Amino acid sequence: MRIRTPKGWELRESAVTPESLYRRRDRRDFLKTLGLGAAGALFLRSAARAADGGFPAAVNGAYPGTGLKVTPYELITHYNNFYEFGLDKADPAVNANKGWQPEPWTVEIGGMVRNPGKWDVEDLIKKFGGIEQRVYRHRCVEAWSMVVPWDGFPLSKLVAFADPQPGAKYLKMTSWMDDKLVAGQQADDGLDGRYVEGLRVDEATHELAFIATGIYGKAIPNQNGAPLRLVTPWKYGFKGIKCIGRIEFTDRAPVNTWQKLARDEYGFYANVNPKVDHPRWSQASERVIGGGLFSGRQSTLMFNGYEQQVASLYQGMDLAKNF
Amino acid sequence: MSPSPAASAASAPSGLDRLFRSKVFVWIVILIPGLYPAWPLFRQDPTVLADPLKYLLHHFGFVACVLLAAVLALTPLRVLLPKWRPALALNRHRRLIGVSAFFYALIHVGFQFLHEGGWPTFWTDIRKPFLLIGSITFLILLVLAVTSFKFMVRWLGGRKWKNLHRLAYLAAFLAACHQAAARKIFPVQVLWIFVPLALLELGRIIRQNSDRAPAISAPRQG
Ligand code: HEM
Repeated sequence: MRIRTPKGWELRESAVTPESLYRRRDRRDFLKTLGLGAAGALFLRSAARAADGGFPAAVNGAYPGTGLKVTPYELITHYNNFYEFGLDKADPAVNANKGWQPEPWTVEIGGMVRNPGKWDVEDLIKKFGGIEQRVYRHRCVEAWSMVVPWDGFPLSKLVAFADPQPGAKYLKMTSWMDDKLVAGQQADDGLDGRYVEGLRVDEATHELAFIATGIYGKAIPNQNGAPLRLVTPWKYGFKGIKCIGRIEFTDRAPVNTWQKLARDEYGFYANVNPKVDHPRWSQASERVIGGGLFSGRQSTLMFNGYEQQVASLYQGMDLAKNF
Repeated sequence: MSPSPAASAASAPSGLDRLFRSKVFVWIVILIPGLYPAWPLFRQDPTVLADPLKYLLHHFGFVACVLLAAVLALTPLRVLLPKWRPALALNRHRRLIGVSAFFYALIHVGFQFLHEGGWPTFWTDIRKPFLLIGSITFLILLVLAVTSFKFMVRWLGGRKWKNLHRLAYLAAFLAACHQAAARKIFPVQVLWIFVPLALLELGRIIRQNSDRAPAISAPRQG
């Protein structure tokens, strides 16, 4: 038997699902298991993967999610905060699939870069050498968490491709949906314009920062942010901007949407931090999505369990102030 | 006491009137929202299964607010539509509806307890302002429910009891604040529930003031 040292982001052994990750039974069966609150383990068989859009992707051996219990596909795709498509978590799965066509998609890269332009997503993916799979924890600011097998490419590849000028310190990312199509929803989504998120360039080039184009080995569903969605697993989920249409490099920190809406509740960094509470609830623990009625809570880990990897980015900063 | 002019001019008993008088009917209407969550759970609705406790927490809080607003709406309804017998019929059930609002709130708080995974988190979280407001609301409803027994009404005396139960208006206001703060973005359902109530109350105040004016010169008998 090979002995391996557990990585910082892995869960304790008791939460391990036997066998490997991408086993998925027919939806009814595993949801039944959940409904019965069965003590957890889902015995799933290999899912057939879609073969288009660069799929299947090879698993990145550094992020196999060993020890993590992957959240069922049905739950990842039906429990969404995506206010442009409705305020209830059930809404996006319905409203984002009423004819919203995210493909073909061009992403515009601009601002302080040497290689600005509008690029077709498929071309970009080819330039970046295809896609890979990574299993990450996902912690929402609302104190719930999932484990998601993402497909996509490291954000650092896109940054290198854009080739930022020396003065560029931040990325400002903007959601870019077809206004006419979602006008109805966008009028009352409460977001005050297009969704904006930002990262420091050193955060964006960190090995963990990822752009998802798929989940579970299939193209990412519209409600999860097709076709390009930011994944920063050490930060709260709202940093993970969906439908990225524009990336601008700047020398000033962009004001992200939730910071603009409620400055005392959501900051620029949004790093997962069990010691800094939200004004309305504790962040010390979280509910695991799909845990059923009697599952209790699990402790939230500093930087969502990625402390070893990212803590150095925030050396010397007061994380209670820079929340 | 002779029948008031309003009552003698009231419409003849109708089917709706009889239905609204029925205790069984009101019980059924009150119980349906309590049983409703069985449906999405049975259908294996993935959004509900993702975090069933959160769903139940929200659902029962919502129902508690609706019932609280409903019971408070009955008085202005009766004042504004004195001739409409169904309004009078519904007013017979005020205690039942009010107490059921308390029980739904109790279940709501119970689910919050489970959702928090027990005392430690429940206790630290309840100090957050929005939960303190919920707690005050809950305490008011508790006091009103406990004093709704007939012997309590007798023990307190009519006037004291009435004054105490005016706290229900405060409870509704606080419940609306609590509900409005519960989501990340202002939830419109607060308006659907509480704006009609506010309009009815406004109507009642206007009506009662205009009724009172002539009453000074010619006091009504009764
Ligand atoms: C000790 C008392 C109470 C506690 C601890 C409590 C707790 C909570 C919590 C944690 C939430 C959900 C917040 C979230 O989604 O993050 C909530 C929402 C809510 N509560 Fe309470 N609550 C209390 C009393 C009440 C009372 C008395 C009422 C009504 C009469 C009420 C009505 C509601 C409503 C309508 C919502 C919003 C549900 C939604 O957004 O769908 N709560 N409450």
